[in-house]
Amino acid sequence: MPGSIDELMGPDGVARQDFQKLLAVLGARPPEDFARMQALAERALLNQGVTFSVYSDQRGTERIFPFCLIPRLVSASDWAHMERGLEQRIRALGLFLDDVYGPQRLFAERPELRELILNTPLYLPRLRGVRPAGRVRIHIAGIDLIRDGRGTYQVLEDNLRTPSGVSYVMEGRILSKRVVPDVLEMARVRRVDHYPARLAETLRAVSPEDPEHSTVVILTPGPYNSAYFEHSFLARTMGVPLVHGEDLFVDDDRVFLRTTRGPRRVHVIYRRIDDAFLDPEAFRPDSMLGVRGLLRAWAAGNVTLANAPGNGVADDKATYAFVPDFIRFYLGEQPILEQVPTYVCAREEDRRYVLEHLNELVVKTVDEAGGYGMLMGPQSTAEEREDFRQRILAHPRRYIAQPRVELSTCPTWDAATRKVVPRRVDLRPYILTGPQGPWVLPGGLSRVALRAGSYVVNSSQGGGSKDTWVQKEAV
Amino acid sequence: MIARIAENCFWLGRYLERAESTARVLQMTGQLALDAELGAEQLWTPVVVVFGEHPAFTARYGAEREADAEDVQRFMTWEESNTSSLFNTLSAAREAARTIREVVSKECWEVTNELYLWLLGDAGREEFEHSRYGFFQHIRRMVQLCLGLFRSTMLHDTPLDFIWLGVMLERVGQTARLLDVHHHVFSGMRPGHPVVETALWLSLLRACSGFEPFMKTHSGRVTGDAVASFLLFESRFPRSVHYCLDSAYRYLVRLCPPDAEPQLPGRRTLALSLPLLAELRPQALASPDATVHALLTRMVEGTADLCALISEEYFGRKPPEAPVALGTQVMAG
Repeated sequence: MPGSIDELMGPDGVARQDFQKLLAVLGARPPEDFARMQALAERALLNQGVTFSVYSDQRGTERIFPFCLIPRLVSASDWAHMERGLEQRIRALGLFLDDVYGPQRLFAERPELRELILNTPLYLPRLRGVRPAGRVRIHIAGIDLIRDGRGTYQVLEDNLRTPSGVSYVMEGRILSKRVVPDVLEMARVRRVDHYPARLAETLRAVSPEDPEHSTVVILTPGPYNSAYFEHSFLARTMGVPLVHGEDLFVDDDRVFLRTTRGPRRVHVIYRRIDDAFLDPEAFRPDSMLGVRGLLRAWAAGNVTLANAPGNGVADDKATYAFVPDFIRFYLGEQPILEQVPTYVCAREEDRRYVLEHLNELVVKTVDEAGGYGMLMGPQSTAEEREDFRQRILAHPRRYIAQPRVELSTCPTWDAATRKVVPRRVDLRPYILTGPQGPWVLPGGLSRVALRAGSYVVNSSQGGGSKDTWVQKEAV
Repeated sequence: MIARIAENCFWLGRYLERAESTARVLQMTGQLALDAELGAEQLWTPVVVVFGEHPAFTARYGAEREADAEDVQRFMTWEESNTSSLFNTLSAAREAARTIREVVSKECWEVTNELYLWLLGDAGREEFEHSRYGFFQHIRRMVQLCLGLFRSTMLHDTPLDFIWLGVMLERVGQTARLLDVHHHVFSGMRPGHPVVETALWLSLLRACSGFEPFMKTHSGRVTGDAVASFLLFESRFPRSVHYCLDSAYRYLVRLCPPDAEPQLPGRRTLALSLPLLAELRPQALASPDATVHALLTRMVEGTADLCALISEEYFGRKPPEAPVALGTQVMAG
């Protein structure tokens, strides 16, 4: 595709040096073989219930996240660079959160950022001064990366609240092992299946009590949530209870689980419920999902919530623009990873530029995810641009804009034409942080835009996934 | 364990057992229709009565079609307004399993999910249209596979105890209802050809998966009383009312051991189950005014009370305002 690079193929249409042997093996398979393997893989996903729910549908609400067997490969050296960059970014973001919920040193030096950063419903002023048990705020992060036309990895978005998708990474690997074991072996790929054990260890390590005698649970909104498969997957593979809000209660600022043998103290909650629904006493009084008094128990240091409440202020799309500044300010280091230039519409100068260049830019609503609330400038109609112009003028803080990045592509199986075609991809690595600092899972979720020409990789918008193969160091 | 999960385990067991039982009864009735010289009203009407769906059926299809083989089978298989249809029970079982996906083993979940997808997709419909016997057989096999996998792939711990408690209490109701309805129909028939009568009792045994076990214990001597006693009291037969209640009692003791702290739940349930079990002795039918029907009604109602108390004690559900009338429905006439 014009302007973009391909992950596996060089511009001359020949496989890149690192991946030549591998692609020769994959490429030797006739199309019928591929069609058969694809069908097998998709049926396995369906039978195993590896699905997500689509809220708009009635019956048949579960769909598999389409999976393409052709892996996305990452060379050992590219990965090493990314790993260092991600660790650095997470450390800086953690310090930033400690600061905005603490002394706010940043604003002494950069007063112009105060209003911009704090003026979002994602910042929860009532949590100021709380130091969470275990001292970590971003236990689980998913950071979206894309690769631009020069082949440089760039951060597109930080997800520091409840990033999902890691279960598809592991299910994808299981499929690769079953269906293309020979190719996987030849590729010398780093393993990903130890993630649940690492996650359990990370969560126990931040317990307010002795980790050995701590109870960890996962809190889910329930089986109707789109990511329910993932919640049960993690509970199963970590061997910890999956609980609903109604299963928990707070007494004397301590959290307990209702069991058939009476109450049992809970120390760490990996919550997959948004802040607003976490505690009807503190936030939305109409929420049936959360636990009354949970915030008090957290503030008292009697329970660890992963991730910590209030993290949204750090992954807000407007705050994103300043993360390189945070890295310099908090760590005194230069950012290792690049990120996409971002115009923050709350700033007058940026806003003027955005309004003049709507047809070139991608405009995003800061508090929407999943590919919703976006204007793809170059593909938009005059009417859509006018709509966004009005929206931006009415609520400038809610919008940012970025130049469109030509996402890299990856050879992808197209079931309709039974051909391998280039499709745009992104990459979401997962980072776990315990008291010892961040750890990056060597792999991640490669999402692929299955529709020809599309830039949108979200599962709710017709995206699929690929197994991400991070190669071991060359021997 | 978490009360909500215990409740889902209990219902997972009940729904799976109910689906297997429904498929078995429909399959066996279809077989009986081939060689018993019986009117359709003696064959198919009892089916909807056994599952307590007689009023729902006549409301849906009209009283004149209550003996129609095809209508009854469709109603008991696909009808979404019929809570006992295979479609509904298997959907409910699958939803219960999905809700406690982290508790049931991967093997059990996959079997339940595959069966549900098969039923929902073209394959199930085609099998139903082209091979009725094979259709019911597939459902029975998959459910039996899943029940077996529970034992061989899950920790033998509280969740499994609740699953089997559900299976056993569901089985009490199924066996008791089958016996009651058939006992009533057969006993009320004009004393006729002994071969026909024998065939009917044998079909009842088959509908309870009890044909071979009965023959082994009775050396081929088939009478109505012997079949009734077997299905009520035989402690070695896993679908007799006695076996199932006794087994349920053992699970209840495991859940609430005698040395458990007094404030823990389960004591009232245990206290209710013991006298019920004590009534299930062959002597219970010795007195001249005792009837099979009265004993069965007592068992079905007692089991329903037991289930309500389990809900209250273990799942934290409030007791129903009026006692649930779950007594056997006797056919009119």
